[in-house]
Amino acid sequence: MKPARRNKFASFWFYRYVRWWMHRRFNVVKVMPFTPKPGHSVFVLINHFSWWDGFFGNYMAGTNLNRKFHIMMQHDHFEKHFYFKYIGAFSLQKSTRDMVESLAYTAKILSDPGNMAVVFPQGELCSNHITHIHLEKGIERIIKQIKGPCQIVYCCALIEYFESLKPSVYIHSYDCGVAGEVPFDELAKNINAFHQQALKDQVNVEH
Amino acid sequence: MIYPRKNIVMKTCVQLYLRRITARYLSHINFNEPLLDQSKSILLISNHFSVWDAIVLYHINRVFFKKNFHVMILETTALKEPALTYVGAFSVNKGSRDVAESINFSAKLLDDPDNLVLIFPQGKLYSNMIAEVVFERGVMSIINKSSNFQLIFAATFIENFDNLKPEANVHLQAQTGTDFKNIETLQQAYQLHYTQSRQQQIQITK
Repeated sequence: MKPARRNKFASFWFYRYVRWWMHRRFNVVKVMPFTPKPGHSVFVLINHFSWWDGFFGNYMAGTNLNRKFHIMMQHDHFEKHFYFKYIGAFSLQKSTRDMVESLAYTAKILSDPGNMAVVFPQGELCSNHITHIHLEKGIERIIKQIKGPCQIVYCCALIEYFESLKPSVYIHSYDCGVAGEVPFDELAKNINAFHQQALKDQVNVEH
Repeated sequence: MIYPRKNIVMKTCVQLYLRRITARYLSHINFNEPLLDQSKSILLISNHFSVWDAIVLYHINRVFFKKNFHVMILETTALKEPALTYVGAFSVNKGSRDVAESINFSAKLLDDPDNLVLIFPQGKLYSNMIAEVVFERGVMSIINKSSNFQLIFAATFIENFDNLKPEANVHLQAQTGTDFKNIETLQQAYQLHYTQSRQQQIQITK
């Protein structure tokens, strides 16, 4: 497992760069209003459908979540883009002993109320049109090991085009409760209910 | 009603522009190849969630259907983007007497086996996330007024996955008959294709 070596300077400029890049590549970047609980770290679960998702997490870290950004990356992707460790990325190698260490490291990050960690609960790239979110068991392990107040937030990013050639992204955020207070099965059920809600809300979105 | 215009120079320019933006914004256009009856014209019915629907289907026509492309667009769009009329766009003005003229023109185009007419029966742009497709009535009049055409359903979805540029996946299905009793039966048939295509789309993981 490769830990993050977060650097304030790199994080600040990377966030600025991501903002500029996203507004150049996307027609509309709309983050639905959401305020995290004060004094809580934020465990962000995002639906994983493109390589933009991590950047969406970084964008939200600076716009409405206001926490120090951390993100779990697949080991092979991390090795390819090693420089992401300076903005808070750490690696996870699935189906190895290393994985346990990565999960414990994520929980350690989330034990500090000033931090946030982005994890893709599905563990693989899925379509943006899916109607069911599968949660890997690792999520439960992370939640169990968190020491301190931590809010779990499900973010559903949906892509639309409408009248533009460029895509637009709409990010819907939902509060899934505080870690340790919601049983894992209920959390999975709530996340799927929130995902359905996001799909319904998306149909009526203004364009 | 605004009719398609014929100008070989303008047509080439618009074609080149469409090819350029397709290459610039999309990584791939994937589609299946249904069985075609070359002795018949094609009425292509598609979902409408973006400007890409028509551009992607225009590309598919160029490489697969190989017919004279025509597309029915809103009059407001035709006035805003008059260049589209050089590549087969003609207008429909919803809620006016002009509608009958647009329907008759579409039906007339379908009498020629070399033509393809693309129609978005939803009538306006909807989210790409909708589960149910609702049709407006006009398309049924076109089907009733023409006979020698093949009806093809298209369901388009755009996905990113691990590419910077998204890819378009188009699910095509040729219909064996065109004898739909009313708009509801046509809508049900399209809904079945749309739901199946969406299910196939959801199965993709990387």
